[in-house]
Amino acid sequence: MRLLLVEDDAMIGAAAREGLRQEGHAVDWVRDGAQAEAAAANDVYDLVLLDLGLPRRDGLSVLRSLRQKGHDVPVLIITARDAVSDRVSGLDAGADDYLVKPFDLDELAARVRAVLRRRAGRGSAVLHVGELEIDTAARHVRWKGRDVALSAREYALLEALADRPGAFLSRAQLEERLYGWDEEVASNAVEVHIHALRRKLDPAVIRNVRGLGYSLAKDG
Amino acid sequence: MSIRHRLIVWLLSSVLAGGLLAAGVVFFQAREEANELFDYQLRQLALTLRDRIYLPSQLAEVLQGEEALDFVIQVWAPDGTRLYNSHPRLRVPGAVQIGFSDVQGDQGQWRVFAIQQRGLTIQVAQPLSERGRLALAAAWRTLIPFLIALPLMGFLIWRLVGRELRFLESTAQAIARRTPEALEPIAGGEIPEEIQPLVAALNGLLGRLGSALTQQRHFIADAAHELRTPLTALRLQLQLAERAQDASEREKAHGMLREGIARATRVVEQLLALARQDPDAPVEGEAPVDLAELARSVADAQAAAAEAKGLSLAVDAPAPVVVQGERDALRALLENLVDNAIRYTASGGVVVRAGSGPRAFLEVEDTGPGIPPAERERVFDRFYRGEATAGSGSGLGLAIVRRIAQRHGGEVRLLDAKGPAGLRVRVDFPATRP
Repeated sequence: MRLLLVEDDAMIGAAAREGLRQEGHAVDWVRDGAQAEAAAANDVYDLVLLDLGLPRRDGLSVLRSLRQKGHDVPVLIITARDAVSDRVSGLDAGADDYLVKPFDLDELAARVRAVLRRRAGRGSAVLHVGELEIDTAARHVRWKGRDVALSAREYALLEALADRPGAFLSRAQLEERLYGWDEEVASNAVEVHIHALRRKLDPAVIRNVRGLGYSLAKDG
Repeated sequence: MSIRHRLIVWLLSSVLAGGLLAAGVVFFQAREEANELFDYQLRQLALTLRDRIYLPSQLAEVLQGEEALDFVIQVWAPDGTRLYNSHPRLRVPGAVQIGFSDVQGDQGQWRVFAIQQRGLTIQVAQPLSERGRLALAAAWRTLIPFLIALPLMGFLIWRLVGRELRFLESTAQAIARRTPEALEPIAGGEIPEEIQPLVAALNGLLGRLGSALTQQRHFIADAAHELRTPLTALRLQLQLAERAQDASEREKAHGMLREGIARATRVVEQLLALARQDPDAPVEGEAPVDLAELARSVADAQAAAAEAKGLSLAVDAPAPVVVQGERDALRALLENLVDNAIRYTASGGVVVRAGSGPRAFLEVEDTGPGIPPAERERVFDRFYRGEATAGSGSGLGLAIVRRIAQRHGGEVRLLDAKGPAGLRVRVDFPATRP
C-alpha cells in the first residue's frame, strides 16, 4: 500500500518510514502541514499517517480541509496529544484512528492494516481469493494449502492485486503502490516481481492484458 | 504579649493618667479658689468686727457667738495685752503684721488677717489645712468617675478589641485554607482598613506564588510532552534494530539509535540547564571572564561539527573582553548559540564575535535561513521551534541563552545578518562597573 507519512520530527519520521517499508508499504514522507495537504490532495495514497503538531499548518486543520474538499483517504493520526478531548476532536475531524506517541512499530503497522481493512469492507485480516489465502496481519501467503515465502515487494504486489480481485492495475499504479518518491525504481521492477510471483504460485494466477495491466484471477 | 493585653494596659494607663491629671488640675484650681474665697471671708469678718468694736469693754458682748465659727478671733490692746481670744484652747500665734500673712503654728499653718482700729489689733485666723481638705475633696470628686469607668472600660476594650481582632483570626484561617493547588486571593470585603495592606500584600504574594507554580507546572507538562518525541524516536529505532535481518541493516538501525539516544540525552541536559539557570537561583562563582577567549574555546570545541556539515567557523575577537560572570553559564550560552547556528545553516559559515562597543557583547552570525521578524520573540519560548525549520533541536536553546543573559544583566537580540541572508544573535552585557 502507498502511505503518506506526515511527521515533522526527523528521527521519528525516518524510523517510522523504515518500519512501514519493512511491512511492505510504499511510504512518502513530508514534514509540514502545507506539504501534507498538497500531497494528500493527489489521491494516490491508501492511507495518511498524520502528526498533529506540524510546522506551517496544524495537522487537524489539514485533516478538516481535506475532508471539506471531499478527499476521503483514510487518516490515522499519530500524535503526542493524548487528552481525551484531543482524540475526540481528531476523530470528529474525520480521522479513522488515533495513535498516541510514543507508539510501538508493530501497533502502528497493525492499526494501518486495520484501517485499510475497514476501508476495504473486510472484517478479517485474512483474504481468500480462490486457492490463495493471504493473512495480511502476519503477511503470510498460502497457495493451495501450502506456505509460500514471498519477499516484501512480492507480498505488497500480491496484496495490492488481491485488494480487488479481477480488477486491472497498470504498471504505473503498481509502482505507485510499491515505491515511495525517493526510492529508485528499476524500469522492469514490477515485471520482475510479477514473474517471481507467478513462479512461486502458478503462472495462471496473475493475468496480464496489454494496455490494461495486471489482475489477480478471481477464482485463483 | 497579645495585642489585646497591650491595648488594655496602654488604654487603661492612659485613662488613669488622664484622670489623675484632671484631679491634679482640679486640686490646684480648687485650692486657688478656696484661697480667694476664704481670704475674702477673713477680710470681711475682720472688717465687720472693726466696725462693731468701739470700746474694749464692749468686746465680750460684741463678740458673743463668734466662738462657734471656724475662725479664731483675737483682739489685742495697744499695749499688747490680749483682750480677747475666741478659741482659748487653740494656740494661735500672735499678730505679726497688718494684712494677710501665713503663720506657722504648733498644729499647722494658719492664714491670718490683721487690722487695727483705734489702737486695738483685731486678728482673724483660719487653719490652712481646711483649704487643702476642700481642694482634695474636689479633686477626689473629679477622680471618682474615672475610677468607676476604669473596670468598665477594661471590659469594653477587652470585648471590642476581641471583636475587631476576629478579622485577623478569620484572615489567618483563610490563609491556612490556601494550598498550592488553591491560591485564590483572600476576600477583602469586611476586613478593617488597617489589615487591608497586610491582606493586599499577602494576595500579591499568593498571586506571584500561584503564577510561579503554574509556570512550573506548565514547564513540567511541556518537558514531559517534549520528552515524548525523543522517546518515540528511540522506541521506533530500537524496534528497527531488533527487526534487522542482516549486519548492514543492523548497523544502520544502530546508527539511528545512537543518534536518538544522543538527542534524548541532549534534551534532558538542556532541561537541566534551563532549571539550573532559573532566574531566581543565586549567582555563584562570579569571576572575570574573557569573552574573546571563551569565543575561541567554544569555536574550537564545535569546529568538528561545523566541518562535518562543510561549514566554516570563524572567530572575530581581536582583543580581550572581560565581563563579570559565571564562566560555565556563559560558555553554555555561547555553545547554544553556535550549536544553533551550525544546526540551522546548510551552507556557508558561522562567525563568532566578541568585542566591546560601549558595552561588552557576544555575537554569533550564520548564513542560514534566518528568522522572520514576526517570529523572533516566539523563538525564545521554551520548546518553540521555527515554523519553517526542520531541525532536531530541543527547542530549549534560546530559552537557555536568554535566561543566562538575563542573569548576567544582559540582553539577547535577534538581528539580520550583515550578509545577504542569515541570522545574527547579539548578546549585550551591562557596562562593567569599575
